[in-house]
Order: sequence, then structure tokens, then C-alpha cells
Amino acid sequence: MKKPMERTFHTSEFKAQADDSLIICRCEEITKGEIRRALYDGMSTINEIKRFLRVGMGLCQGQTCNRLVKGIIAGELGIAWQDLEVSKPRSPVRPIAMKIYANDGLVK
Amino acid sequence: MMMERFEVIVIGAGPAGLAAAIEAASNGMQVVVFDENSRPGGQLFKQIHKFFGSKEHHAKIRGFKIGEKFLQEAETLGVKVVLNASVIGIFQNREVSVMLGDRISHYRANAIVIATGASEKMIPFAGWTLPGVIGAGAAQTMMNIHGIRPGNRVLMVGSGNVGLVVGFQLIQAGCKLEAVIDAAPRIGGYGVHAAKIARLGVPFYLSHTIIGARGAEFVERATIAEVDQNWQQVPGTEKDLELDTICLAVGLTPMSQLARIAGCQVADLPQKGGMVPVCNAFGETSIPGIYATGDVAGIEEASSAMIQGKIAGAAISLAQGYLSAEDFQLRYASYDHSLGQLREGTFGHENKGRTDLKTTDDGYPLSQFLFRKGYLADGELSHYPGVPTSERLNQELMPVIECIQNIPCNPCQDACPQGCIVIGSTITNLPAINQSAKCSGCGMCVVSCSGQAIFLVDVNYAPGYAAISLPYEFKPLPAVGTSGVALDRSGAILGEAEVISVRKTAVMDETAILTMKVPVQWAMSARFFKQL
Repeated sequence: MKKPMERTFHTSEFKAQADDSLIICRCEEITKGEIRRALYDGMSTINEIKRFLRVGMGLCQGQTCNRLVKGIIAGELGIAWQDLEVSKPRSPVRPIAMKIYANDGLVK
Repeated sequence: MMMERFEVIVIGAGPAGLAAAIEAASNGMQVVVFDENSRPGGQLFKQIHKFFGSKEHHAKIRGFKIGEKFLQEAETLGVKVVLNASVIGIFQNREVSVMLGDRISHYRANAIVIATGASEKMIPFAGWTLPGVIGAGAAQTMMNIHGIRPGNRVLMVGSGNVGLVVGFQLIQAGCKLEAVIDAAPRIGGYGVHAAKIARLGVPFYLSHTIIGARGAEFVERATIAEVDQNWQQVPGTEKDLELDTICLAVGLTPMSQLARIAGCQVADLPQKGGMVPVCNAFGETSIPGIYATGDVAGIEEASSAMIQGKIAGAAISLAQGYLSAEDFQLRYASYDHSLGQLREGTFGHENKGRTDLKTTDDGYPLSQFLFRKGYLADGELSHYPGVPTSERLNQELMPVIECIQNIPCNPCQDACPQGCIVIGSTITNLPAINQSAKCSGCGMCVVSCSGQAIFLVDVNYAPGYAAISLPYEFKPLPAVGTSGVALDRSGAILGEAEVISVRKTAVMDETAILTMKVPVQWAMSARFFKQL
């Protein structure tokens, strides 16, 4: 987060909500409830949640869900989504088979 | 191992990328364009509608024809376009890695143009993962590139230009457009685009959002409901719709990952659609030699993307010594002026997000009814300079131009051989009828209007009957003598009408002029013909 966040930010309990079963990350089939719950399980940054749940790590690499995930996290923490740090894009920006990724002209 | 070097690597063969490539190549530069798709042209080839703007913006030319022209030009100039080539990363010293076939190739560039465009935004709702929920752009690709109808009964979520234009194309493809909804209280896109759909009887539900979609294996029903100013659902306003397709046209977001990987400075700007690389006026990012142009640098439209591409191409040519400073200044001034024109008017940059506009730039009232309902109320027409006075209408055949927002667009002016239509040098001006010119009834204005907003009205066709000529872009074309009904601007049936003429020549470019005979009292309200 851009602002330092305490891991004990949440003193309240996780409360189930009616739309917790709504799928947010379609590629990895992660639900809104799972994303919200991750915050109560100790995750506090976008990168942590991404690695823990795999949101944004599927076929579309977060092109569809990044904005939605940020909104959910920000809503849960009661902050503006603009204050959340962004997850870093890394090469390769498209899913790629390992045998292709390794086939880049190395001559041994 | 030698690494291949190019003078310019363009990433993305859409309108911005191709324009940049053509501009650089026309100055003598060696250019390669990588595109991950199997066809070039980006969004251009699915744009089957006629573009707006002026002649230099390719006004009244269909998007895919502009695309074909670009590809021809690129080929003639020796631009290498490599398809099925995914750029997977940009690294230091302008090194680019490309996945092509079963291998990765690394290239160096003297200059890179990132023109990767945008992707569709999504809104989640109960049932949104059911088959049948698709982006409006995806529906457009299915219809216009692959010739596949996305569904039969469609709900369009979003009333911006994408929703309105694709909505009309869905109807052209034979789908039933059940409704267009928008959570905002006003229609987001051009009034003329909304009017094209409204007169076909498609209802607009503004201040409505989608609550959910239901179905066993695919979408079968959807629930929409009204929202208040705080976007909260108003209880008791739920409406249940039977349909099989839900198109989401809720905005675009730039695909700027490559710019971020390259280390370009980025900013998350809502008015640009999301995270964009910060660029100067020439499209150069914070990293010298890396440029970003088109939707990736800020969501706009294809016409703007093409000019932005040219600007970047010219800037690269200057930086690399292929264009003199003087020549660059002249070109930049011309391109910048052209781009500026597209950014003016009711939907221009300065007015983005404004909901308080009451008049046009040239002093006419902006119809608030049009913003809410998608069509003009009968009594509003007389305010506008493109609508003839009743005296003149009673005397002779006249064009009636129902274009009443400031849109940068003027092909109607150039189309009329008699000089009946005047817009002037400010191309956002409302088109006005020239009082001293005489209409010959040729209908060229009708087919040249990309907004399909011009009609010919002859109240003296026959005793008690008027003849109304309208633009018609549906198949099959009704034959002369066909009986049907006339619809008014809201799509309501007025009563019986008969087709008395159908004109379609090559120069009309697939827009037919259908003339129908209606009782004379409907001369200023009948605006569509429906076969029964």
C-alpha cells in the first residue's frame, strides 16, 4: 500500500455477505468472498493477495479483474482504491509455454 | 549471436500503430510492426459504420475501408507487418522480445512505438460468468469479422458510443436488441447514434443497472433495476427481461503493461480510461525513444488514434534525422490542428463528464429530452438550423437535418451538389439549410450522413400524402410497392406506409435511400419504415 498499513488493521471479524460467491477473477475462478477473506487472513497488499489467491495470474493476466479486485480491497479497508499500490506487470505479458520461452536462440 | 536491429519497432498494427509506421516509413525509415493477432488493423476492420469528422479524418468512409487503405499504404512503403507475433516484453536499451511460432526472438530498435490499444472493462453481477455475457467489442468482432450472430435477444449495458453503435449493428445482423441500459441518468454517446436505435423501437432504460442474469446452461433471463443518485438500487423497480445475450459496453481500459515493464512513468487517470504512460505532446514517454500512441495513451477513438500515430511517426523521424525541424513543425501543426478538431464539441475533451450543458457552442438549445430518451421530441425540431421552416417545407422538397449536437463532422456539406447544407470552417457547427439553394432531391446528403440523421421530406408528393426519404442499411431491402408501417422517432407505429422508391448505387456505399409514402400529417414525425 502507498500508506503504511498495520496488519492488525482489521479488529472486526469477517462477516459473510450476500454476494461473496460472485466470481471476480474469471480466469482463476476466485470469488469476492475469497478476496475479502484474504485480508482477514493476514494479506495486506495487492501483490500478497495476488500470490496467495492467484487473482490476476491467469490467462488474461489481470486485464479483466485488476480494477475489480482493487475496488473490493479498498472497499473492505475503507480507503480510496487510488491509495492501493499496483501489482507489477512482468515479462512475459502473455501466457507462454515454457518450451517456447526457452527457445530463444541459446546455442550450447 | 547477432541481434537484429530495426530503426522503428511498432507494437500493434491497429490505426495508431499503422499510422505511425506509415509516417515513419514515408520519411525513409525502416519499420517493422508486430501484432499478436492473425489479422492486422486492430479495431478498424470491425467498424462497418461510416466514420465522422471531415474529409481529412476519412469522414463517411467505413472503418474497414480505412483499414484496407492503411494496409495498402504500409505495403507500398515497405513496412514489414508481422502477424501472430506477441511482444512479451520491452527491456533496457530498447530491446524487444517477440514470441512468434515456437520461439522467442530478440530485437533492438532505435525507436519503439507502443500502440497496443485497450481492452473492455467488465462489471460483475450475479450470473455474469454464464455463456451469453460478452463484451460489446467481442460481439462486434463475432459479427463483423467472423460473421457469427452473438445471440438472438440482446441486452446492451452501456449507452456510450460503443454500446449505441454495436447495438445498431446487432440489429443489422438480425438480433433483437431488447433494451439499452445505463446507470447514468443520460445517454453517454452521440444523440444521432441513439436516434438510429430509438426509431427502431429499442427502449432506453437510464438510471438502470443490471442486477443479475439467470439460466441453466446459458443466459435465459436478466433482471435490471433503477438506481438512485448514490447508485443504490431503488426497491420495487426490478424488471425481468427474457434474453440470451448481455453485451457489456461499460468502457475501455488501456493495455499499458509493456510501457510499465519498460519503466515508463505512468499515471492512473480516469479521463484516459485507466493507467497510461505519461507522454509529451509528440507521444514520447518518459523513456527517450519509446513512444505510446492511440488508445494505450488514453481512450479516444480510431480517428484520433490515426492522427496521434502520425504525430509519433513524425517525431521519431525528426529525432532520428529523417525529417528536418522545419518540415516537422509544419506537419505537427497540421496534425495537431486536425486532432484538436476531433476533440471539440458537445462530447469534446473540455466537456467530458459535464452534465450541465444546456446549449450548443453556436447557441442552440441542447435537447435534454434527447439525452434521456434517445430521440428528439416533436416540438423541439423547429429550434435547429438544419430543419426548414414550415413555409419552405410546404413549398418544395427539402432536406431535414436532425443533427443537433456539436459533433466534429461535415460530410453532408460536401455531399450536396447544390450547396444546400452549410457548416463552415468550424466543423462542430450544427449543419444549417442554405436558404438560397434549391434541393434537387438527389439524396446524397442522406447517404453521406454517418449519423443517418438526414431525411428528405416532400409534403406535396400527392394530395394528402408526403414522401419521406430515409437512409436504410438493413437486409433485405424492401421492394418498391411494399406495404408496411411508418415509425416515429421513438419507434412507435404511426400507421400504414408504402415504399415508393428504393435507390442504391455504388457511390452510396451500401446505404440505400428508401422513400415511403405516408399521410401528410406525419411528414415531420415518420422516420422509419418497417415491413410487416
